[in-house]
Amino acid sequence: MKRILAFSLLAATIVASCASPGTTGSSPSGSAPTGQHPKIGLVTDVGGLNDKSFNSLADKGRKDAQAQLEVDTSVTESKQQADYVPNLTKYAQDKYDLVIGVGFLMQNAVWKVAKQFPTVKFAIIDGAPQDDGGKTENLPNVANLFFKEQEAGYLVGVIAATMAKEKTGAATHNTVCSMGGLPIPPVDRYIAGYQDAVKTVSPTTKILNGYSQDFVDQQKGIEVGKSHIGQGCDILFQVAGGSGLGYIQAAKTAGVYAIGVDADQADVAPGTVITSALKKVDVAVFQTIRSVRLSTFKSGDNLFTVANDAVGFGKLDKIVPKTASDAANQALADIKSGKITPKDTVQVK
Amino acid sequence: MTQIQQPTTTGPGIERPAPSVRQLTFQWAGGPAIPVLSVVIALIIGAIFVLFSGNDPVAAYAALVQGAFGTPYDITETIVSAIPLVLTGLAVAIAFRTGLFNIGAQGQLLVGALAAGWAGSQFAELPGLVLMPIVILFGIGGGAVYGGIVGLLKAVRGVNEVITTIMLNYTIVFVMHWLLQAGPMTAKNAFGTPASTPIGAGARLPVIIPNELVLFSRLHAGVVLAAIAVVVFWFILWRTPLGYRLRAVGLGARAAAQAGIDPAHHMVLVMAIAGGFAGLGGMIEVSGVFGRVYDGFSSSYGFDAIAVALLGKNSPLGIVFAALLFGAFVHGGAYMQSHAGISSNLVAIIQAFVLFVIAAEALVRSLTRRRGRKPVEAIA
Repeated sequence: MKRILAFSLLAATIVASCASPGTTGSSPSGSAPTGQHPKIGLVTDVGGLNDKSFNSLADKGRKDAQAQLEVDTSVTESKQQADYVPNLTKYAQDKYDLVIGVGFLMQNAVWKVAKQFPTVKFAIIDGAPQDDGGKTENLPNVANLFFKEQEAGYLVGVIAATMAKEKTGAATHNTVCSMGGLPIPPVDRYIAGYQDAVKTVSPTTKILNGYSQDFVDQQKGIEVGKSHIGQGCDILFQVAGGSGLGYIQAAKTAGVYAIGVDADQADVAPGTVITSALKKVDVAVFQTIRSVRLSTFKSGDNLFTVANDAVGFGKLDKIVPKTASDAANQALADIKSGKITPKDTVQVK
Repeated sequence: MTQIQQPTTTGPGIERPAPSVRQLTFQWAGGPAIPVLSVVIALIIGAIFVLFSGNDPVAAYAALVQGAFGTPYDITETIVSAIPLVLTGLAVAIAFRTGLFNIGAQGQLLVGALAAGWAGSQFAELPGLVLMPIVILFGIGGGAVYGGIVGLLKAVRGVNEVITTIMLNYTIVFVMHWLLQAGPMTAKNAFGTPASTPIGAGARLPVIIPNELVLFSRLHAGVVLAAIAVVVFWFILWRTPLGYRLRAVGLGARAAAQAGIDPAHHMVLVMAIAGGFAGLGGMIEVSGVFGRVYDGFSSSYGFDAIAVALLGKNSPLGIVFAALLFGAFVHGGAYMQSHAGISSNLVAIIQAFVLFVIAAEALVRSLTRRRGRKPVEAIA
């Protein structure tokens, strides 16, 4: 008897919980596509929407587009690598006009799905479609969104070199350093631009570079950071994701300066992070969505640069002298006008 | 309302007759009541969360169901998501049946995936007829060795298997980083996407649904392997003397020892079998879904498996249904996010409450039992 009572109570609860929203008429959240505006789907990689980096920036670009352009957008988070293909496929099956994949981890998944749906447009951030053998194959319906990281590296390099030259604050050893995760092209382009700027602005400044061999492990970043600081570095530029946070941590512990990467990392360690080399994924996503809206979508490599305001430098700490910020702004204008072309190969390994 | 069958405490040494088909149906009819109820309660709690976040729970669940089963393609994808959960669920359940708590299905799955991926690329040029059995054996063997270590430590040194399995889960994650980021298995042309070299064509599990039937379906032959594994699980436990001894150890290790069953020996054995199931799951993911091993390709199969085994009451059919439910959560959750605008993390909340309710049920039952009887000394 007790059981029956419990069940009927439960049934009542279910009915109640189902009925109430209908009567109050709460509206479904606004991101479900309606009407005949272009439909845009964004698929994150396993980092998820709260990674404070590529995924959250890409989603910001999507939201900006939703607000400013006449498009209907939605987003799907990937929980694990096995989700990439079904998540991309789902949007393609639902006849979305553009499906955006975030990050190089999705190169193979985008290749697979884009081949199956030749009439759907795809875009991949920081990558290009890659076949099962790992070879890059450009597809007529896929835009590869690449960034000129060397330009962002150059801008923060100008700031670092100026501070080293003028011995601003704790930067007393005239030595600047950088650390990558792995020596892969997007990482090395940042570092190449950084070194190019230092050599140009302050030829006497010593340059060191290293790799943590990891994009996750903070401890490895701390180790490389300690070693660099031991060799006199007092401005440390990280290009190593989570591992790079350890590099910043080492700078903070030693009371020297660090430079963030990709997103604005001023909040990671205020007073330590003097600025960040920015890769404005949100701008790239917004501009790609707009290209679909305006029917100017271009497949193959799409380069995002200071010229279209998609790379740059972040918030400046108050320790950064006006001479340094002026020099960086001047460099920004010079790159835009073509007067300066930052190198994209690493000189000091 | 039928009473839920309690496991009868038969005296040691008395062989229980194999259950007839009628008995089994009766057990299954009586069994699912609690799991189904716990899922319903979890769904209700999930609905409250949706309401709090200012959304419509009916729309959320409608999208969840539509995403998981709305089209033939979605149904096949739900099954694809469920396959590894079936295998890891079996790995957890068979250890449960022997009184061990296998938290290590995750690690065992990864070792199986790595072993299968290594064999699949090392002997890539062999024909499928030869290569496929090799890859399957490597998957099962890799997992079995990794699980066996846990059993051995438990049997020889009495080390708690919960601790060793958790530690070994971490160990393999880092070994995997090394192998796939800058180690012997790293693919040269995939620098930046940490992955192994692709496995040979003969090591790929074929897609079994033709494109004419369901366009772009990824449902691969791994579903057949999973079905075989479920039958093997049932056969070992209820149709062999070994299975009888395993269950005897699970019901009471001391009593079993009195009856001449060596618990230590069987703990090693069952952990190896459990590891074999999970390892096969890893092999299926590599051969059926990816065609290579990606670093960190799986983060939660082994942990969801604990919920799957509990929800499935450690029974073969129960595990299949629980895995399908969780597979539907995984695949439908993405659709719910894109089409109803509700974070797919809701699925994680529901899964957590399923576990919570089941655990609470077990707690209540053990409390009420203790009140009635003298406490039975438990064997850790």
